[in-house]
Amino acid sequence: MKIAVSADGSNLDAKVANRFSTAEYLVIIDVDSGDFEAVPNPVTVRQHGAGVQAIVLAVGKGAKAVLTGYCNPAVANQLKASGVEVLTGMTGTVRDAVEQYKKSSYLKAPGTHYSSMASMMSKDVFLHAVRSAARQFVTLLPVLIGVVLLIGLFDAFVSRELLTSIFSGNVALDTLWGACFGSIFAGNPINSYIIGGELLKYGVSLFAVTAFIVTWVTVGLVQLPAEIAAFGRRFALLRNGLSFLLAIPIAIFSVLILNLLGRWIP
Amino acid sequence: MSNSGQQRSDRKPIFNRMFIFPIIILVIYAILFVISPDKAGLAIESSGNVFLSMIIPLSLVFLIMLLINLFLKPAAVAKFLGKGSGIKGIVLSAAAGIISTGPIYAWYPLLKDLKEKGAGESLIAIFLYNRAVKPFLLPVMISYFGWVYVVILTIIMVIASVIVGFSVSIFTSSKGE
Repeated sequence: MKIAVSADGSNLDAKVANRFSTAEYLVIIDVDSGDFEAVPNPVTVRQHGAGVQAIVLAVGKGAKAVLTGYCNPAVANQLKASGVEVLTGMTGTVRDAVEQYKKSSYLKAPGTHYSSMASMMSKDVFLHAVRSAARQFVTLLPVLIGVVLLIGLFDAFVSRELLTSIFSGNVALDTLWGACFGSIFAGNPINSYIIGGELLKYGVSLFAVTAFIVTWVTVGLVQLPAEIAAFGRRFALLRNGLSFLLAIPIAIFSVLILNLLGRWIP
Repeated sequence: MSNSGQQRSDRKPIFNRMFIFPIIILVIYAILFVISPDKAGLAIESSGNVFLSMIIPLSLVFLIMLLINLFLKPAAVAKFLGKGSGIKGIVLSAAAGIISTGPIYAWYPLLKDLKEKGAGESLIAIFLYNRAVKPFLLPVMISYFGWVYVVILTIIMVIASVIVGFSVSIFTSSKGE
């Protein structure tokens, strides 16, 4: 079994680091064989996301327990939710902490370690999942409500003629327009389904609506600056450009296949 | 709650940003109620109808979100990404994109870090493309477009993600040399 110890240095004689999230190293030790590996933590200053990196490291290395001085409760919950046991209040060297852990785990009855299945079913984990689902759902609502209200406005004030003047019935042109509209905005796909669904009711072709849905998520002019900052100009421009071009054949193919299948599936 | 002050202040901009759009719409409504109350009433009525038609799909959305949270952890998603090569890497990156949740800008820092650690650009592009496929939103999508359409589009999107991924990596590497 592997355990992760937050440490100030890269060997077993290094001191246990006080903070898990910003420790310089995570020393991953196989308690059965005694083998170890020191992994540098990419984030050693307190900043947003520091805990996430350390969690990813520990979980990614297959650690079943984390030994550290102190661990932020949010980070500890995440670790526990991933089936990792968290032991805080550790001091001394990494070697000392491992010995301490070994002793304490010998005292425990077999099977007291979190198995991932058991941790999934525990009450804490369930409540945590309910809370994060509620949070995700609530963050989705404001824009969703805005979109639905906008559709209402559209319904009352925009005439069918205006839409049909843009979407004239020419498959290629309509699909291109759909792709263009979808590319401007970026956001949760749910909003593109609602807008797309309403456009269908207005008689806009499924080709155009599909292109709209596809580019809504895959191309985002609004978020382009953020993507350039993260991955570089070339990557971001290429990815968005290719995604835009591909949206048109995707829309045409999907609808053609749907029409073909429609003959067999009622 | 156990959240530190630092975390709370980080969340604030996102919190504010998501209210900008609905507030703009509400202001438009307020103006329209003064100018043309009849039509504004009609607009509210049709919005209400759209809401009613979404109650069941939205409840399912919440249920699937809950199941995903219960069985898939962000750390596990990150573990998938950028790991393995060849077919395995593609499948894992696509899967990570599909099951990832939250706004895309929250994922940029982690992806950037993975890229610096050597995850291929093609895999990151595949991840980003597959964010279009969201299992928890399928009820809404199906209620609007029918399940046959949803299945076809989902399959084509996953294939397209691989095409975009590889094209991006081919172009970026050939230009880089």
